[in-house]
Amino acid sequence: MEKNWLIDRRTCLRGLGASLALPLLETMGWAEQSKTAAYKPPVRLGFMYMPHGVIMDQFWPASPETFLTSPPPCIESLRPVLDQCLMMKGISGIPIAPLNGAPHALELSTWLTATLPDANRRNIVNIAISADQIAANYIGGFTALPSLELATMPQTHKENQEGLNEAYYSHCSFRSPTQPVPAETNPRSVFNRLFKNRGQAAEKSGASTQTDPLERGMLDLVLGGARDLRRRLSYNDQHKLDEYLDGVRSLERRIAAIEYRQKEAALEAAGVSVSKRNASDSPPIEIKIPVGDKRSEYMKIMCDLTVLAFQTDTTRVSTYIGSTPNGVSYPELGFTDEHHSVTHHNNQNEKVDKVEKICAFNVAQFAYMVQRMRDLKEGEGTLLDNCIMMWGSGLEDGNKHTRENLPFIIAGGGGGSLKTGRLVTGVSGNQGDLLSTLLTCAGVPVDRPIGISTKQITEIMA
Amino acid sequence: MSLVVSERRRVGDRFGLAVSLWRSTWVALVCVVAGTGAANAEVAAELDLAAAQATAQKTFKEKIVPFVSTYCTDCHGEKKRKGGMTFMYALRNPGMATFRKQWKQSVASLKAHDMPPEEAKKQPTPEETQVFIDWVSEMKYLSPKDPGLFVIRRLNKVEYGNTLHDLLGVDPMVAQELPDEVVGAGYLNSLSPLLMEQYLVVANEVLSRVLAPENAPPTEVQRRLFGELPPGGTDSREAVHKIAQTLTRSAYRRPASEGELDVLMGVFDLGVQNGRGYFESLRLVLKAILVSPQFLFITPDGVLESGADIVALDDFQIASRLSYLLWSTSPDAELSALADAGKLHEPAVLGEQVRRLLADPRSRALFDGFGAQWLGLGMLANKTFDAAKFPQMTPSMRSAMYDEARLMFDSITRENLSISSFIDADYTFLNETLAGIYGLEGEVKGSEMRKVRLNNTNRGGILGMPGILATTSFPNRTSPVNRGVWVLEQVLGEHVPPPPPDVPTLEKQDKTKIANLTLRQRTELHRTNPVCANCHKILDPIGFGLENFDAIGRWRDKDDSGGAIDAAGELPGEKRFSSPAELKKIIGARTDDLSRNLIEKLLSYALGRQLEGYDEIVIDRLAQAIANDGYRMQTLVTQIVTSYPFMHRRVLEPKETSNGKKLAN
Repeated sequence: MEKNWLIDRRTCLRGLGASLALPLLETMGWAEQSKTAAYKPPVRLGFMYMPHGVIMDQFWPASPETFLTSPPPCIESLRPVLDQCLMMKGISGIPIAPLNGAPHALELSTWLTATLPDANRRNIVNIAISADQIAANYIGGFTALPSLELATMPQTHKENQEGLNEAYYSHCSFRSPTQPVPAETNPRSVFNRLFKNRGQAAEKSGASTQTDPLERGMLDLVLGGARDLRRRLSYNDQHKLDEYLDGVRSLERRIAAIEYRQKEAALEAAGVSVSKRNASDSPPIEIKIPVGDKRSEYMKIMCDLTVLAFQTDTTRVSTYIGSTPNGVSYPELGFTDEHHSVTHHNNQNEKVDKVEKICAFNVAQFAYMVQRMRDLKEGEGTLLDNCIMMWGSGLEDGNKHTRENLPFIIAGGGGGSLKTGRLVTGVSGNQGDLLSTLLTCAGVPVDRPIGISTKQITEIMA
Repeated sequence: MSLVVSERRRVGDRFGLAVSLWRSTWVALVCVVAGTGAANAEVAAELDLAAAQATAQKTFKEKIVPFVSTYCTDCHGEKKRKGGMTFMYALRNPGMATFRKQWKQSVASLKAHDMPPEEAKKQPTPEETQVFIDWVSEMKYLSPKDPGLFVIRRLNKVEYGNTLHDLLGVDPMVAQELPDEVVGAGYLNSLSPLLMEQYLVVANEVLSRVLAPENAPPTEVQRRLFGELPPGGTDSREAVHKIAQTLTRSAYRRPASEGELDVLMGVFDLGVQNGRGYFESLRLVLKAILVSPQFLFITPDGVLESGADIVALDDFQIASRLSYLLWSTSPDAELSALADAGKLHEPAVLGEQVRRLLADPRSRALFDGFGAQWLGLGMLANKTFDAAKFPQMTPSMRSAMYDEARLMFDSITRENLSISSFIDADYTFLNETLAGIYGLEGEVKGSEMRKVRLNNTNRGGILGMPGILATTSFPNRTSPVNRGVWVLEQVLGEHVPPPPPDVPTLEKQDKTKIANLTLRQRTELHRTNPVCANCHKILDPIGFGLENFDAIGRWRDKDDSGGAIDAAGELPGEKRFSSPAELKKIIGARTDDLSRNLIEKLLSYALGRQLEGYDEIVIDRLAQAIANDGYRMQTLVTQIVTSYPFMHRRVLEPKETSNGKKLAN
């Protein structure tokens, strides 16, 4: 029997960097859904965040007509894939009164929730399930990981704006109104989680990395014991323990998904063809774990890992906090000013230029990611054709903390659900409307409005 | 008294009712215990409190309610809620912690004459306004006695690693792949699927490190945990039951119930039924323990008394709470034995244990977890510095700076000094690297940190400490404003509001006009703007007083523009200074503020939540007790550990808080 699941069998690790050969990705689960009909890849949904807003006249294309031909400086890096991008002007953010003193805690925490935190109990987390987690609950059920949450730096910033819990400052994904989802910041552990099933111990010792077949049974018993414990706890304790129960159940599902794939791989090894598989001619992807502290390298690797996770259908939902609204600086751009402080630029040219450089830098990382997706063939088209990648910020203008016209870029065709290559002007909707629309396009039934959403933005749909 | 009760009933506040009843109990108690010294003092304190509570209630009913109804609720009432603000809920439950901020803001708006707006027809008289302003300082007396909501707490990353180390002897770094987290107030107690996955990964990793593979000779840890193979013919399940009992006593930090042991016996049976040997099945049992909620969370012993909303912590929870506070790891044998004997909740026993734990080297965890966060040094290791300007900021320099503060904290704690030493100590801890910053490069050799006496009174204490001066600077220059804010907030416990958005900054001034100004002269332009002046007139002088220290804490006489440093300034109360040493004297004289601030920060850290409502009364009492004992550091810690909110917990949320929002499904 194979020691590990499919991707590992084909993985070769070399030294510090790991180069992965990834042919035949369609073998990994979803391809077998139909043996005869043309296969339709699943839609993947990704979010990437930058705080503090943009310099508007450097970000928004001049007109719908010139969208493809003359991108403004901030999004110049997207030029090669503009035909697969979509921008829309007129998406407003959620009004933040009575929490006016917390623009930065709210720009991130409302980004995927379109909901204000509970202003009456500010010191605990109580907001709403976020759009990515709604998607994870639905389309995440088909993959080994329901969703992937990444960040470039640890979510440990402490700042207390308006008495709000610090978690609002560093989280945008919420599994439930009271449960922020931590993001992974270490590329190596992300890699291990995606492709190595179990820790590094086995890698080092050369021992088997195979899952203990009794692990699920053991977890079942532990889960039973936890339920007994729950019965003798107070209401609030029970609620806390529910997070644990949810965690264990999700772990069991993940082990089941891995076992399923092991079985499939074994069948394939035995020569039993499970389905008609589309041979893929994707180039191998090389993953190099950066050693220095160059931000661009860290961001690139997180982008690579997202591409890889989508390409191998390990997950269909990802959220990447490219940067949190705290003391981040970008020495590689030639200055050490902190992002937040330069955004209060008061229209001084020198500071405006720095903000613009930081924005362009962040968009360039996003551009890098979507271009990789465009270069990967999948089915009849490319991976990007089947993705919905949203880049954006939670503020329009960091100088004045405005949120009337939030900057977003959508890339990818969403499996034919989005009409790209356009700037759509005069949209009148809010960030909740946009999230509802993207979920719908990703095939997620939106049975409850997302935050302040009242409608779908049909103008961007195909 | 009866008046208070009926009034509270009228507004339907069940907590108000509870306080009143509780207060009557005290009155009854007075009659019984009157005559004994210490008890007398305590009773007197409770009586004072009861009187203060009655007064606050009376003022609220007779003055505040009419004031708000007359001048505020037309715009901020049930129907109109201008700016999203309403007094509807606050009037109903004035003492609720939730509304504390609203009341304080109302006072701020009144003081600033922002509210009621000029165009409002009805304007309060200055006397009416003053009554409202004065009442806010009494407001705490409206809060019912309440230890605060406390839900079962998950071990944080550091605690989890240390606990695994104590239990199984593995390197605590085994937990390093877990997400980093911030402990203390607002600690994110949640457990995500990712974390659960990682717990299983770590459990597997730990077991593969400490247990031998099947059929290999057992490791030492294995022998300690599992003992020898039971002789043939005996019931191996009986032996397993015993082993599970011992393992869980340490791992669950309390005795396991029979039901909990049954679960583990079930895991053992699962192994055996699937053809695993005795030790392999025990391995599965240990893995189950390591992913059980009783290990990952600090859970109460026994069953919750039904209907109770405030309960005392049991001795096992106290042992854990204390041990994780001071050591960031599980209780040791002595603490566990005291918990088993049911003695730990006794204040004298607890105080003795605080001293013992603080004397142990493991208590450095208190600095790593609390002290570093208090001083803001957690950020130092990864803070960006302009490498061309400050090549000195190497990793070894940063770690020496961190260690200096750590050893200082440690010295004040272990030697049980007055907390004023944080400001006025005449010694510090240096190695050769760090001595360079002090200009003492010739005097200290080698990489080892050691105690150094300081003759220069500008140095010594946290205000002149390089690590702190560096964390409060920008990557390329000092920030007098950041330093001022740091001193006010971290040292004196004052709250500095964030600058309003869209205020014009310094550099908006004509470039040619400011080109030749020193940073000080430029910053002082702030204070010509009335919007800024209010805060900056206090912040800036403090920051300027420290301008002789550059962005990494070196002494200098000229700033970056070449102008001479002018460290003179004045603080409210005509307190003048002309050097860091004199500034330190002024700050150091405010021991009560420093003490109160440290109490608040440490209590908040110990409870893992922000402080509110009744906590303010607790702090008043702690501050008094600590001042009476010469502000000694160990007294401060002991007072916190034996305080009411540390030893109790509320298990149900007050029903009134909800704004109608349902919790997670």
